[in-house]
Amino acid sequence: MSWWRGTVGRRIWSELLYVLLAAPLGLLGFVVIVVSFAFGLGLAVTFIGLPLLALNGRVARAFGNVDRRLARRLLGLEVPDPRPFRSGRGLFGWLQAALRDPVSWRARAYLVVKLPLALIGFHLALAFYGLGLFWLSYPLWWQLSGPGTLYKNVFLDPGTLVFRGHDAPHRQVAHQLTVHYGDHAYVDTWPRAVLLMLGGVALLLLAPGVVRGLAALHRLLIRGLLGRTRGDERVRELEAARTQVVDDSATTLRRIERDLHDGTQAQLAALALTLGQAKEKLEHRPDVPFDPEGALDLVGLAHQHAKEALVELRDLARGIHPPALDLGLDAALATLVARSAVPATLHADIPSRPDRAIETIAYFSVAELLANVAKHSQATKATVDVGMKDEMLVLRVRDDGVGGARIGGGSGLLGLRGRVRAVDGELMVHSPAGGPTVVDVQLPVHS
Amino acid sequence: MSAAASKRPVLRVVLAEDAAIFRDGMSRLLADRGHEVVAVVADGEALVAAVDQHLPDVAVVDIRMPPTFTDEGLRAALTLRRRHPEVGVLVFSQYIETRYAAQLLGDNSAGVGYLLKDRVAETSDFVDALTRVAAGGTALDPEVVTQLMAVGQRATTIGAVLTRRESDVLGLMAEGRSNAAIAAHLVVGNGAVEKHVANIFAKLDLPASGDDNRRVLAVLRYLNG
Repeated sequence: MSWWRGTVGRRIWSELLYVLLAAPLGLLGFVVIVVSFAFGLGLAVTFIGLPLLALNGRVARAFGNVDRRLARRLLGLEVPDPRPFRSGRGLFGWLQAALRDPVSWRARAYLVVKLPLALIGFHLALAFYGLGLFWLSYPLWWQLSGPGTLYKNVFLDPGTLVFRGHDAPHRQVAHQLTVHYGDHAYVDTWPRAVLLMLGGVALLLLAPGVVRGLAALHRLLIRGLLGRTRGDERVRELEAARTQVVDDSATTLRRIERDLHDGTQAQLAALALTLGQAKEKLEHRPDVPFDPEGALDLVGLAHQHAKEALVELRDLARGIHPPALDLGLDAALATLVARSAVPATLHADIPSRPDRAIETIAYFSVAELLANVAKHSQATKATVDVGMKDEMLVLRVRDDGVGGARIGGGSGLLGLRGRVRAVDGELMVHSPAGGPTVVDVQLPVHS
Repeated sequence: MSAAASKRPVLRVVLAEDAAIFRDGMSRLLADRGHEVVAVVADGEALVAAVDQHLPDVAVVDIRMPPTFTDEGLRAALTLRRRHPEVGVLVFSQYIETRYAAQLLGDNSAGVGYLLKDRVAETSDFVDALTRVAAGGTALDPEVVTQLMAVGQRATTIGAVLTRRESDVLGLMAEGRSNAAIAAHLVVGNGAVEKHVANIFAKLDLPASGDDNRRVLAVLRYLNG
């Protein structure tokens, strides 16, 4: 039962623990940071003021780190670590970097905003669980405590719990431990005690919700102030995209070199060998018999090699940059679709030309997707739809094959998605087992 | 040469080359010249196994072969040098890597060749080189020699003691050419070449001996400083 798990499951206890720990931790952090900040600011005119402020920033960062780790453990909150501190050169560089460090400033703000939430949360959690438990078990305390004198003006609210007081005796009661609300509502009869018990049950049932709400507020604060900023995220995305692109072009260059080495170069070397052999047969050499017919055969072979080398070179050049792309994406795709191993049809509606880089990526995406269709799908036909929507170039490649394609399944889709994302595009695969497979690619018209 | 040509030995050859078209061309050429290609393989492991089995006169090895397409041919060639020093190894490559050449020559250059693939265009030169390597000689591509000399000249102090002409002669020696061939190449008399060679031996401290290897030793000593 999810309700039951939500009420007593492990998660709620670790959240409660966090809410309780947040108070002393928050208090400590607040005091240390605010006090040392105030000192640093006050001493800013002297030479220890700025170092103190810098140190203050580093300590704020450390508090932030502790809290982020605690939240990861207890709240299950996955917030990426902020960018590590990068010191400048020398003491002055360090000072400057530490004073400017945005992560430290955000951590300071966090510690200031955190304190009220932590203290209120602590009291609320304690009130709901503590008072709930006490009310629930009230008859026990009430009945077991001996007769005695009730004192007025006793601490612990709400509902005045009577242990001991400082004022004069108030009145004689049957049980020394009796709760009263106001001067007259004494819980000293069984119906009243049961009512209080029910109140305890209600508090305990509400407590998890309160703790969850508090935990949610803590999470919000941590995510907002201790995680990465949008700028950081963007930098990280761009760094990942750049790595992908660099890797990709290195891989492409290696593939081209390999194709040249194994294909064209080997063919030309064989061609030279064959022609050299033919030439020697016509030269009346002492070591090679004169043999015009043999030479003719070899020339025929060399001719064959030369033609094969031409075909290979043409394919290789097309793999680097398809010439049809100069005429426009629709023309290039039409050629591509016509050459597809699985019969394919193209519907293209591209009113204005996207950037050349986008066209190239779109072209090679479709090329790779059609190759995938031929390799994996067992499809009998495929369709390629290309259109534009809201400054986005929208591609869809659909086949009637067996489906089951997924990103990262060795189909090259992962690399393709990387290339698409490198220009802020997106690639999505819908391919249930049994088919059909639909792959959608969206690319911004301007990169 | 014609005397040797008429009594050319029949070579037993193992070919290791993964590009089928080139492999076929080379097999055809060798068969045409009356040599026997006893095994054709396409990777390093198969090469070592084939040489173990056939013990040919010479193995022709492409440096780049499957599975990694880096230097498995070279590594297989080094293995062959250790296991069967009597089998000549002629290594083929599209590119010249000085490091490969140095590794291959090591401290014994007898029966080693390292040629650019392009050299097969001059079919007779190629067959000559193969014959030389099979007979325990050396065949280095002019490109290899040029590169090794360039590296050597930077690395060694001996370089200073050789005159420019002597360096040229040494380079041609490294390719495995005879005095007569060197003389023809440099368009000088035989006597002039003999004088240069004698000077080189003297400067590199290689006393006259019956050992034909002295020419190769000269190159290696020069390169290793």
